[in-house]
Amino acid sequence: MGAMRAFAAARLALAILTLGLGMPAWARKTPAPDAALANLLEAARATTRTGCAQANTDRLVRIFCAGYIRIGVRDYYPLFATRTGDVREGYEVDVARALAAKLGVAIEFSRVNAASRIPLLAEDRIDLVIATMGHNTQRDGQVRFIRPHYYRSETVLVGPRELAISGWKDIAGRTVCVTIGNGSNASLVSHGARLLLFDEAGVLPERLKDGTCTLAAQDDSFFAEAFTHRGFAARFAPKFGFAQVPWGMAVERTGGEKLARALDLISQIFHRDGIFLELARRHQIAAGFLEEQQKVWRSPACDTDAGSTDSNCILPALDTALEPTRFAGAVAAFEDWFSSATGVELSLPMLTTVPAWSLLLSGVGNTLVLIGGALLATLLFALGIGAALSSTAGPLRWLARSVVILLQSSPIVLTLVVAAAVAHALFPFSAAVALGAAIAALGLANGSNAGQAIGEAMRTLRLEWPAQEQSASALFARAVGRSATQIVAFLINAAKGTPIASFIGAPELLSALTDITSFSSGRATTYTLLLIFYTLVVMLVVSVCRRLQAVLERGKAAS
Amino acid sequence: MIGLLERLWSDFLPLLWAGMAVNFEIAGIAIALGLAFGLALAFAHLRGGLIGTGAATAVTLMRAAPTFVVMFFLLNALPREISVSGVMIVALSLVPYSAAFVTDSSLDALRHLRSGSALAALQFLPNVMRAFFVLVMSSGAGAAIGVGEGISAILRQAEQLPALGDRLVLFAIGVASFGVPLQLGFLVLRFAQRRLGLRLTGRHSRRIG
Repeated sequence: MGAMRAFAAARLALAILTLGLGMPAWARKTPAPDAALANLLEAARATTRTGCAQANTDRLVRIFCAGYIRIGVRDYYPLFATRTGDVREGYEVDVARALAAKLGVAIEFSRVNAASRIPLLAEDRIDLVIATMGHNTQRDGQVRFIRPHYYRSETVLVGPRELAISGWKDIAGRTVCVTIGNGSNASLVSHGARLLLFDEAGVLPERLKDGTCTLAAQDDSFFAEAFTHRGFAARFAPKFGFAQVPWGMAVERTGGEKLARALDLISQIFHRDGIFLELARRHQIAAGFLEEQQKVWRSPACDTDAGSTDSNCILPALDTALEPTRFAGAVAAFEDWFSSATGVELSLPMLTTVPAWSLLLSGVGNTLVLIGGALLATLLFALGIGAALSSTAGPLRWLARSVVILLQSSPIVLTLVVAAAVAHALFPFSAAVALGAAIAALGLANGSNAGQAIGEAMRTLRLEWPAQEQSASALFARAVGRSATQIVAFLINAAKGTPIASFIGAPELLSALTDITSFSSGRATTYTLLLIFYTLVVMLVVSVCRRLQAVLERGKAAS
Repeated sequence: MIGLLERLWSDFLPLLWAGMAVNFEIAGIAIALGLAFGLALAFAHLRGGLIGTGAATAVTLMRAAPTFVVMFFLLNALPREISVSGVMIVALSLVPYSAAFVTDSSLDALRHLRSGSALAALQFLPNVMRAFFVLVMSSGAGAAIGVGEGISAILRQAEQLPALGDRLVLFAIGVASFGVPLQLGFLVLRFAQRRLGLRLTGRHSRRIG
């Protein structure tokens, strides 16, 4: 019996020893970040005895002197920060409260929005901002972000539940509703999506519900609120996410090194201890990122007082900087000169960054190919349909007539969509396929009308000229000459119709500029230049077509 | 196939017809504005001089401006303070075409009237009707900016049909829905033209007699 007791005691001791050795660092001893935080806060509090009145005192000391921290939060960002009267709610509001509690001070909330959050920090009107701010390389130069990040959002594609979309392969050729200036728009464009632009994200759920948009892409934090509504959640579902952006709290870049360090350590501790995770779950926001982060910050490698500066533990800022063109400086100078000379703001985003410039060049090239192709296709279909309508073979004539009636009855947008649907069923989606489908549709729609004119001219010629006097080919040539005005009119119409090819994803200039403005500014200038470009191109086509008409009519007169 | 047609009949067609009513509304606004601007430009053109040159230049530019680009221009370049509905943007984008067409047709009609051919001058009315039908068909471009018209209804339904065959059936219904009123319209137009021609030639022969 005694031996058994001794054995059991030995086993228990071994188990405790084993458990102790196997326990994570945070559970074994006083964790390093906690000790570092305690030391930092103690030193700062000690400074308050003498340093409150001193200039250049660190913000952390000033906060202890004042007894409260000024935190900028949003007033209306459902689930994250909302305000009803004096009551503030949301994940970010609770994060702010937890931070203040950890520092042992009260809070004074200030309202911020996307435009004011950084200026308010710079003007020293707030000490800290927690306001759905994505951490990118551009903002790194403006504020000091707290690491680790307290949340991460991603752009999520939302659509009807029954719509089978699982990844990028299903996106090509589809229209996606987005907001202007959203950094993730470029990803959608690069995967062949067509963008329908909106000024405000707030309208997207409504546009999904009323069917204006089949798909919409926006921050998952934005859609989180919509999915809390049972009706919306029953009809729509997130399809997939992309373009992850870490969200960071931020303080002013200078004069707050100790405050920033204290907040770094608190964030680290909040991740490790599941505080962020618990708050996220309380507010029913996506918590996958926070679960991942908890694992990271519980690991011995990161759970140290240097964890928040260890690149193996923290996430990098999102690199949003677009490579400037080599003439970007000259463009900026011209914009400034134009604005000062005329008082009109000019913005030429298509010339200032390499991706935009490249989109512009390919857009212009594709537009010229499209116009040339549409003109050629219109001419060929006109001659083909005209010949078929002039045929003496009844079935061929009737077939051609049916095709003409069908094409005349179909709105051009619908003809384009049908051509695109057939082309995509035969070939995988690509820019060339979309261009080809657009050329075929524009050629058919305009060529059928021009062909009808040739057929009618042929009929009148047959009445005027007895059959034996002229060969069929000579008569047909005369019919083409007689219908020259109509042919030219429909050639011009085909050239004018080319921008509509953007509707089926053909990457012509309208499409390219829509893509450029989706991730940059200067919409008014861009679309004004686009209108001028197309009007000039059509006027050039009109001039060339008038020469063609003269040639055809000279040929008619000669024959 | 029968299941598809039944589903389309009950769910889709009411939406399509409601959408097509928007197409007619857009065309109605565009032709009304086109008549107002077009006739004003025609009068300006007739006055000659600087005003006439200005009117001619404006008509040349309006003729060359692609409707689809004008629509995107209006959508994006108008100041935010000016709130214009999607329907109105599509209608306004069609105005350069309809106004230029009305100017050309009215000048043609006047030329015929001066040369003593009242019948040819009266072609102005069927021409305006023809332009109206062209505008109905062109208003489908509104689908690109999210206007809930007929083409949008067709495209929304097409998104729900994964099989190409089913989509082609749907598109055929769409073409028929737009095509039947269009062809009927042209039929009425031809009938009216013939009646008008007969009446005018009858009056003319009576006057001669």
